Amino acid sequence: MRTGVVAVALALLVLAPLLPRQARAQFSFDARRYGMGGVSLSRDGNARRFNPAYRALKTHGETTGTPKFSIPVPIGLIKFFKDHPISQLSHDPMFDPKSTSFNPFELTNLIFNPPIFYEVKKSPTPTNNVEFTVGKNQLILNLGGSRVLIPEQEFGLGTTSRLFDAGAGFGGFHVGVMGFLQYDVAFSLDSALRRALTDTVTGVRPGDTLSLLSDAIAQAGLAPTVSFAGRLTHGADPASDDGLYLGGAVHYYLGATYGRLTGPAQIQVGNPIFGTKPAVALADTLRTSNQHNGKGVGGDVGLVWVSGPFEVGVGVNDIGAELTWSDTKVQDVSYITTTGKLVTTIDTNHVETKTKLPVTYMANAALRMGTGTTVGGDVVNSGRGTVIHVGVEQRTGPFALRGGVSRDQRKKMQFGFGGGLRLGPIGLDVGFFTHSNSLSTQRAITMATAISIY
Amino acid sequence: MKALAAALLVFVAACGQGKAIFNVNVYSFIAGTGKDTVPYIIPPSSSASGSTVQKINLPPGFGSSIVDSVRITNGSANLLTTSGSGRIGFQLYVAADSAGTYNAGALALNLPDTAVSAGPPISVAISGDLSTAVHTVFTQPTVWVRLVANGSNPNALPVTGLQGKMILTALTIRVVVEDKIF
Repeated sequence: MRTGVVAVALALLVLAPLLPRQARAQFSFDARRYGMGGVSLSRDGNARRFNPAYRALKTHGETTGTPKFSIPVPIGLIKFFKDHPISQLSHDPMFDPKSTSFNPFELTNLIFNPPIFYEVKKSPTPTNNVEFTVGKNQLILNLGGSRVLIPEQEFGLGTTSRLFDAGAGFGGFHVGVMGFLQYDVAFSLDSALRRALTDTVTGVRPGDTLSLLSDAIAQAGLAPTVSFAGRLTHGADPASDDGLYLGGAVHYYLGATYGRLTGPAQIQVGNPIFGTKPAVALADTLRTSNQHNGKGVGGDVGLVWVSGPFEVGVGVNDIGAELTWSDTKVQDVSYITTTGKLVTTIDTNHVETKTKLPVTYMANAALRMGTGTTVGGDVVNSGRGTVIHVGVEQRTGPFALRGGVSRDQRKKMQFGFGGGLRLGPIGLDVGFFTHSNSLSTQRAITMATAISIY
Repeated sequence: MKALAAALLVFVAACGQGKAIFNVNVYSFIAGTGKDTVPYIIPPSSSASGSTVQKINLPPGFGSSIVDSVRITNGSANLLTTSGSGRIGFQLYVAADSAGTYNAGALALNLPDTAVSAGPPISVAISGDLSTAVHTVFTQPTVWVRLVANGSNPNALPVTGLQGKMILTALTIRVVVEDKIF
């Protein structure tokens, strides 16, 4: 079973670039982009996903140097399957929690950093001793170097994705259907729990209430969409791209499913700590849809201005996107100490609930100089934090040199550099990039490789 | 306590490979209960022992872990002899339940005898590695320990019996296990 799941997951990762373009914006396999610190200088991908005005602009102009598509060269998979043979995945220590070599860190790193590309420098897996000081009225944890991983603020993950966007258009109009998925899982530790995990002097205090606050939401569905993108003004040469472009889209969201879990999980520490039984409390509220009947209206808007070599755009998505779920139920989730089981009881049923999709946006700019140099940057917020990318590409004959920097969602600087060789309709691109989206404080370096078709 | 420790271990589990080290202050569980004092009364020309048993709670979830070492890092007791003279030794038994501490196989530490006689208390250091035979007990959430004052009185009648008490003043056990939680 485990082998199958892993195999399917890896297959999906390989096939992801072959999915429709809108999906590719969520998972970039573009080595060019990685080499420029994550910035996208093309007019498709992220630009078109966030900014409907880009529909009115040519995508694959020679001036942008954008390939029609890129095929990743999954060098990382070769090493992965050498280290983890498919025939042995069922009892591979990496996926077997019962193995003494199982390390949740490594598995998390694998999820955050799919092994498509070659890891030049791996993110080190924290391995350190954990020390407990246990007394009748004392419990101190010393997590060693891993203590820095205990978050000070809310932590979690989430995004708004457009899984697909199919349709057809005429003139500036486009009619289609897109699939949307939004999820956000947020946790926060109260001060007592944080102290219990980080304070190596006091630790857990008698009578403490340790709370883990959670708020998790997920909703998905389809959205029939009508959009328009057109050119409002043009420059002296109407044949050029110069001008101001406006785009807008109206979505009628048809929610298929929705769920939200909120509330704290608490432990009332006894006094003395080991002398009395602590009370465990779980008073969460679970809201779920009974039917596939979420409905709502929202829209996207975008502007692009092109003037010679300069291009700037801004797009905002899911404005006013509020879904009304006419038939939902609210359940109380509690923990019964005596039985040690979670019990769910219906509080109210067949009630209306409203949810919102977070507003996401992207602002981008690019300067295409006649010397083969292109400089660009973008600011993207896909629902959980802002990411900034700035990059440059220098093309000289068949060669390309790239570099860039970015600030990730953790507000940490990342770097990228790379190059490319184009021979007619085919190009080979290599991009090195640093990343910290793993459970480590140190950066890893990955080498992305791709074949570009022009 | 099991729930508290288990919840905290969820975070610990995310800390990667390594070792889990428990510094268990056994004395804190015993102090104030009266079980920190082990009386000894040994008639002339004989040997005898006295003991107390105490339950210790440890964080759960280490049942499948492998114990590297168990060592007493800080331990001491006062031997306060009120009459007679002889020799008193210290023994520590460890088991998963109270009755088990009376099995010979539960002997975890056996310190050499100390010569005692009526007078001021004699401080005895308690230290050393515990027997590997009892290591697995420390992966369980509950551990029972039995403190034994084991003595001999070589004096013949009409000399009075050896009488006194062993008062535990410190006992911390350091348990190092392979970090294999749950």
